[in-house]
Amino acid sequence: MRSFSLIDFVSLFAALRWTVALVVLALAFGAPLALGLAMGRISRFAGLRWTMAACIQVIQSVPLLGLLFFFYFGMPVFLGIQVPALVAVTIAYTLYTAAFLGEIWRGGLEAVKQAQWEAGACLGLSAWQQFRHIIAPQALRLSLPPTVGFLVQLIKGTSLASILGFVELARAGQVVSAATFQPLLTYALVAAIYFALCLPLTLWSRSLEARLDGSR
Amino acid sequence: MNFLPLWRYQNQLIDGAIVTLELTVIAALAGLLIGVAGAVALNGRITPLRWLVRGYIELFRNTPSLIQIFIVFFVLPTFGLKLPAFEAAAVALSLYFGAYSVEIIRAGLDSVPKNQIEAGQCLGLSGWQVFRHILLPPALRNAYPAVTSQFVLLLLGTSLASQVAADELFHVAGFIESRTYRSFEVYAVICAVYFAMAMSFKALFAIIGLAAFRWPRRR
Amino acid sequence: MALVEIRDVHKTFGKVEVLKGVSLDVEEGEIVTIIGRSGSGKSTLLRCINALESVDSGEIRVEGQKVHARMPDLKKFRQRVGIVFQAFNLFPHLKVERNITLAPLLTGRIEKAKARALAEDVLTRVGLADKIDAWPEQLSGGQQQRVAIARCLAMAPHLMLFDEVTSALDPELVGEVLKVMEAMAKQGMTMILVTHEMGFARNVANRIVFMHQGRVWEQGPPAKLFANPETPELASFIASAK
Repeated sequence: MRSFSLIDFVSLFAALRWTVALVVLALAFGAPLALGLAMGRISRFAGLRWTMAACIQVIQSVPLLGLLFFFYFGMPVFLGIQVPALVAVTIAYTLYTAAFLGEIWRGGLEAVKQAQWEAGACLGLSAWQQFRHIIAPQALRLSLPPTVGFLVQLIKGTSLASILGFVELARAGQVVSAATFQPLLTYALVAAIYFALCLPLTLWSRSLEARLDGSR
Repeated sequence: MNFLPLWRYQNQLIDGAIVTLELTVIAALAGLLIGVAGAVALNGRITPLRWLVRGYIELFRNTPSLIQIFIVFFVLPTFGLKLPAFEAAAVALSLYFGAYSVEIIRAGLDSVPKNQIEAGQCLGLSGWQVFRHILLPPALRNAYPAVTSQFVLLLLGTSLASQVAADELFHVAGFIESRTYRSFEVYAVICAVYFAMAMSFKALFAIIGLAAFRWPRRR
Repeated sequence: MALVEIRDVHKTFGKVEVLKGVSLDVEEGEIVTIIGRSGSGKSTLLRCINALESVDSGEIRVEGQKVHARMPDLKKFRQRVGIVFQAFNLFPHLKVERNITLAPLLTGRIEKAKARALAEDVLTRVGLADKIDAWPEQLSGGQQQRVAIARCLAMAPHLMLFDEVTSALDPELVGEVLKVMEAMAKQGMTMILVTHEMGFARNVANRIVFMHQGRVWEQGPPAKLFANPETPELASFIASAK
């Protein structure tokens, strides 16, 4: 056992790069997928709507830990191949992000009044043009507060990757805590770092929401 | 793909699911009590108390549930409070659920127009009568969707208790996997069980909602 | 002793003095309408009478009892004074019958067995006996307001206050509410109304009180006041209200 020192302090902060990396990967792959899901959910084709809805329901009704373990342990065994840990974890976080953001963005799309679509049609725009130029920008504005709110959930969700051995913040905390026998100091610091990451986003989300309410 | 080896562990799975449900219900009830107390405090006039509740909410909403469970399980013993895994997870999850409940309940209470309360007071009803008959029913209805969806998230969140070796469903999964090596089947089944539980609760809540809140919505 | 005695009441909201020394008496059985421009303090005065607002100085007495927010037995007092609001304020989660019988039952005014009969009785008086099992949301504005009146009547008040009760109604629905109020007046109810309905003021009221800038500017019988206003402010108000 050694005492808590500067090295431990730095290692906690260094672990943030994995936290950030996982978030970035999840968003990079999950956001486009979410957009597809959201658009599918409002499509004319009932079959498409139902399929997308079912996919989203399934992912939202399963623990994030379950998704992670399924793709990390389960899929490689099933496929009989070696799947790099990062790939498995990215798939899990991507699906998680796609499902929740998809629902949020669907809500945003549906909140844009029907009249806006009609106005676009009357101007002679195609459905895609209506979507791209009139509906999507408004939907984005409406969805921004809950999207930022989900970002907070995602950051907190990366802590689960610690269980699979990724040395992101939570894992680094476990390692340092075990090495220094200082669980209080270590976890307080870990919590403080997460807090420092998430609180500004939470406050930003709230101010966005307030601004939205004010402008309506 | 071979699910047969899992069959002999069905009792453990059932036991695990029961523990999951116990943990969920306990944390939800405790969390709701905290939520009501917090909502009342936030609407009250004691400023330090309001700051305290605000601090609690922000702290528990902006830190991961996993870390909260670790702190209750690993850190509290240094203060002399050593809780077993289930109890530690229950405490941590109650506080987590409570932090979300305060906001939801407060929003529900605030959603009832002041006019309604005035009308009740002008009919000569006491403060408690106004609260119970005029404020509470619409507030409950408005808070209901948010509370029930948080409940389902809590159900799924109990899986984190596996990390401090509480005997809930996810921990049982790890146990079965270590015995059968059937990773895919085990985690597929576990996810299916969580899915079934989550959907059952959603259906149950939908039915309760229809039965309890029968008055028409505002046009 | 008048039923309502208002003596030199002052009230300030923030930086604005809304009531600048109002004095008024209302006798039992009188129908008094308070008219005036927005901001003249009419609604505030009304709300002070049943202690929804507190007075900063001066005194209000109802049936000899001093009225203020911390008066002993405020609840019992409010059971004797009915108030009908511009926004009706029916309880949306309760059916019409329950809206009406909630307070009588909870305050011990009536027993459970007699509750429905009471509801039927007051609803008949406002002409809505057939709506006893409806939800408020299913009723028109005029019907909701009449139910609100019935809800007050169920408590058998000694005094009824009306705060611009027809201002939020579509024009064609105003008449049915005024008819009910007229019937109440004929039955001897003491009524104080804040209203823009000049027709009602002219035909039904015993006395008009014209408020201007937080004071009682002029008062008197409707016939006299409308024919010969003494002050230019009242004259211009009547002219603009036509």
